[in-house]
Amino acid sequence: MAQKKILIITTNHSSYPGADAVGQARMAYSANTYIIRVPDPVMFPEDFYLRAYEKGIAGIIIMSSGSDCPYEGAYERLSKRVARVYEKMKAKGIAVNRLKLTTICTVCRAAFLKEISEMEKAVAAI
Amino acid sequence: MDEKITEQAAKENYRQEPKVGVYVCHCGGNISDVIDVKKVAEALSKYPGVVVAREYAFMCSSNGQDLITEDIKKLGVNRTVVAACSPSLHELTFRGVLQRAGVNPYLHEHVNIREQASWVHKLDKAGATAKAIKLAQAGVEKVLRKDALNAIRVAAEQRVAVIGGGAAGMRAALSAAGKGLEAVIIEKGPRLGGKLLELGKLYPSGEDGAEVVKKLENLVLAEKKISVHVGAEIDFVSGFVGNFKINFKKPDGRSEQVKAGAIVMATGYEHYKPHKGEFGYGEDANVLTLPEFVSLMKKLPGGRLEYGGREIKSLALIHCVGSRQVEGVHKPQADGKVNDYCSRVCCTAAVHTANQIKEKFPGVRLYDVYRDIRTYGMKHEEYYEKASKDGVLFFRHTETDQPAVTSDRTGHTIKVKDVLTWGEELEFKADLIVLVTGMMPSDISLIKSQLKLPSSADRFLQEVHLKLRPVELANAGLFIAGAAQYPMDSTEAMASAGTAAAKAGILLAEPDIPLEPFVAVVDEAKCTGCGLCPAECSYDGALMMAEKNGKKVAVVNPALCKGCGACAAVCPTRAINVAGWTLDQFDAMVEAIAKE
Repeated sequence: MAQKKILIITTNHSSYPGADAVGQARMAYSANTYIIRVPDPVMFPEDFYLRAYEKGIAGIIIMSSGSDCPYEGAYERLSKRVARVYEKMKAKGIAVNRLKLTTICTVCRAAFLKEISEMEKAVAAI
Repeated sequence: MDEKITEQAAKENYRQEPKVGVYVCHCGGNISDVIDVKKVAEALSKYPGVVVAREYAFMCSSNGQDLITEDIKKLGVNRTVVAACSPSLHELTFRGVLQRAGVNPYLHEHVNIREQASWVHKLDKAGATAKAIKLAQAGVEKVLRKDALNAIRVAAEQRVAVIGGGAAGMRAALSAAGKGLEAVIIEKGPRLGGKLLELGKLYPSGEDGAEVVKKLENLVLAEKKISVHVGAEIDFVSGFVGNFKINFKKPDGRSEQVKAGAIVMATGYEHYKPHKGEFGYGEDANVLTLPEFVSLMKKLPGGRLEYGGREIKSLALIHCVGSRQVEGVHKPQADGKVNDYCSRVCCTAAVHTANQIKEKFPGVRLYDVYRDIRTYGMKHEEYYEKASKDGVLFFRHTETDQPAVTSDRTGHTIKVKDVLTWGEELEFKADLIVLVTGMMPSDISLIKSQLKLPSSADRFLQEVHLKLRPVELANAGLFIAGAAQYPMDSTEAMASAGTAAAKAGILLAEPDIPLEPFVAVVDEAKCTGCGLCPAECSYDGALMMAEKNGKKVAVVNPALCKGCGACAAVCPTRAINVAGWTLDQFDAMVEAIAKE
């Protein structure tokens, strides 16, 4: 059976160093997780996520910087965009729990693992 | 990055067919013990666009870097993917390799297969290897779509702000001033000196702590490049590398702001305060901490040791109070965690104090109750040997069998299950108990939350890498000096302060510092002038519509653009992108990851 891949979108300022902190603490999680880093996930249009599912990505976790975001207004824009993505996912019959917008800081190790664990459960049901 | 070189390199790169070199690092086993690096290199050598894929023990070593340089020269490699540690450690190292070899440094992609693969998938070697292959392939897809870029340079304040005016803070300011930089010390206490003022005779010099402070203070006050604010209460710290702002209240209530290009965190430590009843502390008068005893000893003339009006004929030192604590055995701190770390310096401080007691009050019987003696510094073991030879009686316990203290009118009784006598239960009496307390980080929660400073599990500030970047925080432009990082003695604190100042000096060596060129760029040929993107931009003047060559197009002001990419998401033709982070790159990366 093909591996159910989870794409994790992280930010340069916050969640990517957070993912590094998890590694530095040698905390384990599953290897079907693929982390990409961006200045801010606000750059992705709605169809980016839909295309990722079409290509075979099982789940996507957007680990934003939340209120720590260094870019003015970016988090609000991102939240609204993700809400629109959810609508499009519903229209296409894609389970909305396969996309999660969350906030991970540079030291949020436990929260990082919790998000992966929850997405594992969501993609297991596919 | 040097613009002259990169401009030339950019022109050269555009003329060349992309040739990617992939380099997989073993990290001396950190990666290769889990990930099959040969398999990764072999898979990548067959990937489209890749002309060479190699694996090597340490890609960051000079030999590893030479491998890349050779491939650039001999094979015409003009783009690189290095699969190794986190980019926070070595992305700049490899950009430098490309630049020195005449390739635009931004035609490099750093793939993290250590912190985000080998270190977190130890039990799934096959999975970690498969993941490393996919991540490296995604890296190739990204680098194939990268353009040559030039760094943006921003003016930086030629000033270092040093937060904390103890030994490390003063040393950092002096070192920074010695490099020609202005330094501003911001100290919350009423005077310079910090914890060093409390200390008695310091090892190994035998100088008094206050004397050392006086020497440093005189140097600081005589240095015109250094300004000092004491009694300063910081209320807001903001900014970024080159342009930090530190706001604080002065003792007279007025507010002041210091602008600085770099910040040195010399915020020091606090002594562990035993909780009430811990070995009788706070309940029985004759139980002191080591810092309290050192203060007492400084005041007393030699010959007769007195405390509370009574002669002290016997004294017991108990080590590891507030350090190397064990869950379930010790009471946790306010955050629910015990202090499981070793405070490092207390063993030497304890035996050094024991020797001073023997010298100053020769009639006092001394007992030393310890778990392990860790006198780790140069010649520090000699203090332990001297104490042993001079009749200090040592008792050793295990982590679970902690010593117990009971007190009555006749004094204190200490019971120890002694490892040195094969677990015999021993007890002895002492007139005074001295608890050898450890260090805890100062409460700098406000600064930590405002600047998002990382701290390790033991709550001290955490450096990027203990060996490779030992005084740098992950936040650019921020450095650590002294015991804010981990328990250290004044010698080590001063050494680290000098290093932190040197790093700040390198950063601010030029009036402007290079920043990543990752701002929005517009492909005017693709832009239809629809006007959707400026509405997404939060920065006044960063993005607007304008007439260019008779056509309405989006125009970016790179000095004002922050590179968030909000504009890119709404462009129907992908005419606007963040340089170095384009949507085409990410689509290709996702495609590579998703592919079976």
